[in-house]
Amino acid sequence: MNPRSFGIRARQAWTIAKIELRRAFFAKRSLWVYALALLPAVIFFGHGLDAKLRMDRLTRRGVTTPELIDSVQVGERLEDVKTRLGKPNGEYGGVQNRRVRQRTGNAGTTTHLIEPPVEARFVRLNIGRPTYSGEPIARIYEFEVYGPDGRVNLALNRPATGTAPCAPDQGPEKAVNGSVAAGPGDRWCAQDRPLFLQVDLGASRPVTRFVVKHASAGGENEQSDTREFNIQLSGEGKSFTTVASSSGVGFVEERTEYRELGYFDGRREAGFHFVDGKLQGRRINHLLNFEEDRTIFSGIFQYFYLRLAIFFGCLGIFMNLFRAEMSNRTLHFWLLAPARREVLLAGKYAAGLIASAVIFGGGALLTFAAMLWPHDAVEVSSYWNASGMSHMFWYATAAVLGCVGYGSVFLAVGLYVRNPIIPAAVLLAWEGINGILPHMLQKMSVLYYLQSLCPVPAPFDDDTPVVIQLLAAPAAPASGPGAILGLLLLTAFVLWIAALAVRRMQISYGAET
Amino acid sequence: MISPERAPVGDRAKADPSVIFSEVSKFYGEVLGVNRVTLNIPPGITSLVGPNGSGKTTLMNMMTGLIFPDHGSILVRGISPRDPETLMRITGYATQYDTAPRWATGFTFITTGLALFGFARSEAEERAWKALERVSLTEAANRKVAAYSKGMRQRVRLAQAIAHDPDVLVLDEPLNGLDPLVRAETIDLFRNWAANGKHVIISSHVLQEVDLISDQVILIANGMIVAEGKIRDVRDEIQEHPSQYIVRCRDRNASGVAAELFREEHITEIKLHDDQLGMLVMTRDREQFARALGRIALDGHRIESVVPADENVDALYEYLIGGES
Repeated sequence: MNPRSFGIRARQAWTIAKIELRRAFFAKRSLWVYALALLPAVIFFGHGLDAKLRMDRLTRRGVTTPELIDSVQVGERLEDVKTRLGKPNGEYGGVQNRRVRQRTGNAGTTTHLIEPPVEARFVRLNIGRPTYSGEPIARIYEFEVYGPDGRVNLALNRPATGTAPCAPDQGPEKAVNGSVAAGPGDRWCAQDRPLFLQVDLGASRPVTRFVVKHASAGGENEQSDTREFNIQLSGEGKSFTTVASSSGVGFVEERTEYRELGYFDGRREAGFHFVDGKLQGRRINHLLNFEEDRTIFSGIFQYFYLRLAIFFGCLGIFMNLFRAEMSNRTLHFWLLAPARREVLLAGKYAAGLIASAVIFGGGALLTFAAMLWPHDAVEVSSYWNASGMSHMFWYATAAVLGCVGYGSVFLAVGLYVRNPIIPAAVLLAWEGINGILPHMLQKMSVLYYLQSLCPVPAPFDDDTPVVIQLLAAPAAPASGPGAILGLLLLTAFVLWIAALAVRRMQISYGAET
Repeated sequence: MISPERAPVGDRAKADPSVIFSEVSKFYGEVLGVNRVTLNIPPGITSLVGPNGSGKTTLMNMMTGLIFPDHGSILVRGISPRDPETLMRITGYATQYDTAPRWATGFTFITTGLALFGFARSEAEERAWKALERVSLTEAANRKVAAYSKGMRQRVRLAQAIAHDPDVLVLDEPLNGLDPLVRAETIDLFRNWAANGKHVIISSHVLQEVDLISDQVILIANGMIVAEGKIRDVRDEIQEHPSQYIVRCRDRNASGVAAELFREEHITEIKLHDDQLGMLVMTRDREQFARALGRIALDGHRIESVVPADENVDALYEYLIGGES
C-alpha cells in the first residue's frame, strides 16, 4: 500500500487520536471541563430530588383534590375552608401586635375648640414635631379660624406669615387660600426652626374654633401629618397666649390574628393565608411543572451550556492539544513521526472532538434525563412520543456540533497564540454580539448555527430588555440542515487556517541552538 | 495492519545517498543559529563537533524537519525535511530533549512510534524489544520513561531512533550520561550501522570522545563550519596545535628547569610562576618535550609533576578558528 494513501494517513491520524484521548479525557486540568458539563445535570437532579422528597413528605400528611383547592375563594372563613377541605397538612398561625396611629376617620383634619370665645387679631400655629415619620418638614394645607357664628372662616385669604417656605410656591398664603385639592402646590411647607404660621385677621374678633388640615388632607401619606403643635392668640401681635395644644393623633395597639393553611393535591402545594379568620390570599405552587422545567432546560442549554460550558470546555481541551506539548517539551515526538503535519492536526482534533463530544454530548443527555426523571411517567411518555425524542436528539446534536465548531476555533487559536485569555475574551464577545450583527457576519459565528438547531426557543421574560433579546437569539435562524452544513463549512475553513499554522510549526522549546 | 512501504523512498535514497546542506542559514530572531552552511555528508559515521551553542543541534533539527532554514536547502538522501511523511521513514533522530510523553513506558514509547510507521502490533512489539535489547534496556522496558535515570532516557531515545531500522541515524550528544560499558556497546552499534552503508550523524562537544569512531568530522563554531573532512586530516591539524603543560619542581628550582627547556627548539614559550616552584610551558612537539623532561630529570633537576593544561576542546577550537570561539 502506498504510504501516501488516504487509508494509511487515516490510520496514522487514528493512532494519534487514540493516544491523545488520554490527555483530553484525563488531564488534571480537564476536571473543570467535567464540572462545566455536569453542572446543569446536577442542578436538575437536585431540583427533582428535592421535589420528590417534598411530595413524598406532603403525601404522607394527606392529599386533597385539585378541585377542592381551586374552589377556595378569597374572603372565605377559616372554619368553612377547613370543613370543606378537611384537615390541612400544615397549619401555622399567630397573633401580631403593633403600635399604629389611631385612625380618626377625619382624613388628616383636626378641630380645636376654646370656650369661652377669646378676642384676638393675630392667630399663630406653632409646630413642635412636624411629622409622625420623624421627617422635619411641616406641611399645612389649610388653617381655618371661626368665630361664635361658626360659619365664616375668619382667616380665609387674610395676610399670613410664617417660617420660610420649602419652595416659593408653598408659602404661608397657601394655608389660608381655602383650598386643599391642588396637591403640594396648595400647602404651606417649611423646614427651618421655629416652625410657625401666623394669620392677621385684620381686626380684633372673637374666635372659638380652629380647624387644621394636615398633609393627609392634601393626599399625602398619614405619616407626614403634624404630630405636636399649639395655637396662640394675640391682640397686638407681640405677646401671645396659648389657647389650644395638640399632640396630634395618638397611637393604639393593633392586634391581628393570622393563620396559614397548607394543602397538597398530589402535584400542587397550596397555601391559604387568613387574617382575622378570613382568607386574604392564596398561593399555589407546582412542585413539579413539566412545561416550566422544559422551558428552564432550554434556557440553561442556550444561555449556559452552549455559550459558556461548551465554549470554555473546548477552550480547555483543544488549546492544550499543541500548546501543552510545547510547554512539556514533547511535541517533537509527533513531529518526528513519518506523518504529514495535517495528519497530526487531524489526529489531535479527532481526539479533542471525541473527548469533548462525549463529555458535553453526554452532559446534555444526562441533563435532559435529569429534567425528565422526576415527572409523571404518563406526562413524560406523552411528551416523548410527541416531540421529546426529537428534542433530545437536537439538543445532543447541538452540543456535539458546538464541540465541532468551537473545537476547531480553539485548536487554531492554540496554534497561533500562547495566551488563551485575550482570544477567548474576543471570541466570547464576538459570539455574544452575534444577534445584532448583519446577517452575513452572523454566519461567521458558531453560536448562530447552534441556536438555529435548538428545538425550543430561548425563553424571555416580558420585561427582558430588547438588547438582551437581540444578543440571545439569532435574527434569522437557519434551517436544521442549513445550520449543520454551515457549521461544517465554517469548521473546515477554520481547520484549513489551523493547517497553515501547523505546516509552519517549528520546535522552539527554549534557547537551544 | 499493513506493512510499511519503503520502496519509493529507497529508490530516491539510492539515487542520492548523501545528506546535503546548501548555503543553509538559520536565525532565531536576531541571534545567529548557523550561517551559510554547505555540507555534503556521505554515509558512515560523521561527527558534528563544537562547543555548546555552536549550532550542532540547529543543524540536526533542520535535517529532520523540526525547524526550517531561513535560507538555503537541505536534502537527506534526496528527501526534503519538509516532507516528514517520507523523510522519517528513513531517518531516526534521538534528540537531546530529555522529555517523553507522561503516559509512556520505555516499551510503549517505542511501540507507539512504530505504530505510526504502519507496523502491525506484533511486529512493532518485536522491533521494540529488539531495539531495547540493543541498548541494554529490556529490564526497565515497562517502567515509565519519566522515572528513568538520565542515561536510561538517553538509551531509550536511541532505541526509538533505531527501532524502524533507518538509513539515516541522527543522534544529538548520544554518549552523554552513559557509563563506560554501555558507551562501548553504543559505539559498537554505531559502527555496525555505518558498516551497512548507512548514515550515523552524531554530535558532541568533546572531540576526543568521537575521535576514534568517526569516519569524518565536522567542526563547527559560532554557527559556521571551521573544519571538515576525514578524521585523519583534522587530526593532523590538531597535531600542529601547540600543547601547554604545567611543570612543578622541588627546591624552588623552576628557573633552572626553564633554562634547560629553553635550549629545546620545540619550546615556544615558558611562563614562570611567582612561587619559583612551577611554570607554564608551551611546546609544538609533545614527544620531544617528554624526552627533554627525561633528560633534565636525569641531570639532577627534581621535577615533581607534569600536567597537561590544554586538554579541553575549547582550546583546540580557539586554535582552529583563530581565537574567534
